[in-house]
Amino acid sequence: MGFVGNTLAIVKKDLLLELRAKEAISIMVFLSLLLLVVFNLSVEIDTENVSRLAPGILWVVFAFSGILGMGRTSLSERDDEAYLNIYFSSVTMESFYLAKVISNLLFLLLMEVFTIISFVVLFDYERLILALPALTLPLVLGSFGFSVVGTLFSFLSTGSRFGEIILPFLFLPVVVPILLGGVSSTDIILNGSTGDTPAKWLKILLVFDLLYLCISLILFRYIIEE
Amino acid sequence: MKKERITKILLALVLVMLPVNFYLIFQVAPTERIMGDVQRIFYLHVSLAVSAYIGFGVLFVSSIIFLIKKNLYWDTIAFSAGEVGLMFSTLVLITGSFWARPVWNVWWTWDPRLVTMLILWFIYIGYFMLRKSIPERMKKARYSAIIGILGFLDVPVVRLATKWWRSIHPRLSKEGGGLDPLMIKVMLFSLFTFVVFTIIVILFRFRVAWAEERLYSILNEMEEYHE
Repeated sequence: MGFVGNTLAIVKKDLLLELRAKEAISIMVFLSLLLLVVFNLSVEIDTENVSRLAPGILWVVFAFSGILGMGRTSLSERDDEAYLNIYFSSVTMESFYLAKVISNLLFLLLMEVFTIISFVVLFDYERLILALPALTLPLVLGSFGFSVVGTLFSFLSTGSRFGEIILPFLFLPVVVPILLGGVSSTDIILNGSTGDTPAKWLKILLVFDLLYLCISLILFRYIIEE
Repeated sequence: MKKERITKILLALVLVMLPVNFYLIFQVAPTERIMGDVQRIFYLHVSLAVSAYIGFGVLFVSSIIFLIKKNLYWDTIAFSAGEVGLMFSTLVLITGSFWARPVWNVWWTWDPRLVTMLILWFIYIGYFMLRKSIPERMKKARYSAIIGILGFLDVPVVRLATKWWRSIHPRLSKEGGGLDPLMIKVMLFSLFTFVVFTIIVILFRFRVAWAEERLYSILNEMEEYHE
């Protein structure tokens, strides 16, 4: 099997594992639901201000639920040092990393769709569903960036004594451009501020994604090298 | 012993320059017309910011060299420079706040420059947290080098993103244009002083850290020998 074949095989393995154990997905989905409820209880949200608050709330929920879920998926590789089997196989570390990024991306997107549906129900904001086609691109680009950084950092954190506690400290400052890009493009799509298009924000998301993908592909091998 | 001599010369230089620098800032530089004496903090503030970036830059470069050479010497340089960078960036944020209160009438504003420095500060807090949480020496060095590289590369992207983000909102204040020539001279002197000062501090921090490193490796060898 070549690079693509190996990568897809690991993605398939992760999806199968998740389908049976449902660990990462249940963490992400329930946490996002819980966070939405907490937001609803702590911030006065009504039909007047919901469209203004929605982008910020959504992306904060995506970031927090996402990072905890990604911590879980790398922990399952650390359990019984399962990743060492891959290390000693013919699979390159690059394709292992890429596979993890893809499977984390899929989990993130699933969680995000669920969060958006819950948001519509809890906050009575149907415009969000109608805007979903336009939101696809920011969601995919933003989640890809989250996944690229989150996958790398979750392997760092699960190798440390503090475990997943340290993950938000590493993850959140670095993904600030994604948060800004995601929130701003969502805001423009939902509220259509004058003369602004989401294009420039999508550009920043794309630049971030490509930059960090390249660097992470180079750096990932240094984490596993025991 | 050539290194020793350069260190001594640099130290002597900085010991003379620091008091001169303060004299220039507080006595020679003209008082700003609108801001008054509080503007003098600027000479320190800007120099501290440059010093912080030097620290993080050295961390970035030596992290890369460490991953290539796998020599703990480079990791020791990296975290020594990182500590110095973190110290200076903390001072940048504090002095900036002192200046902003009387001039902008706020302790903090979400200006791109401020946000970038704050985000960077958080990244390096994470860097040292990660170091603290890994007992194995080589692993600690490898993992933190990854943060050192990724964190520094974030600077231009964060800067650009916060710039665009701010452009949506009204700007709080625009900085003044023309500076008095004497002010520029004092500023340049202050910058130069702090560059030398930063190099010296990193060098001294490194010497202590490297001595510790060698001590531990000797102790480890002794333990292995007794076993």
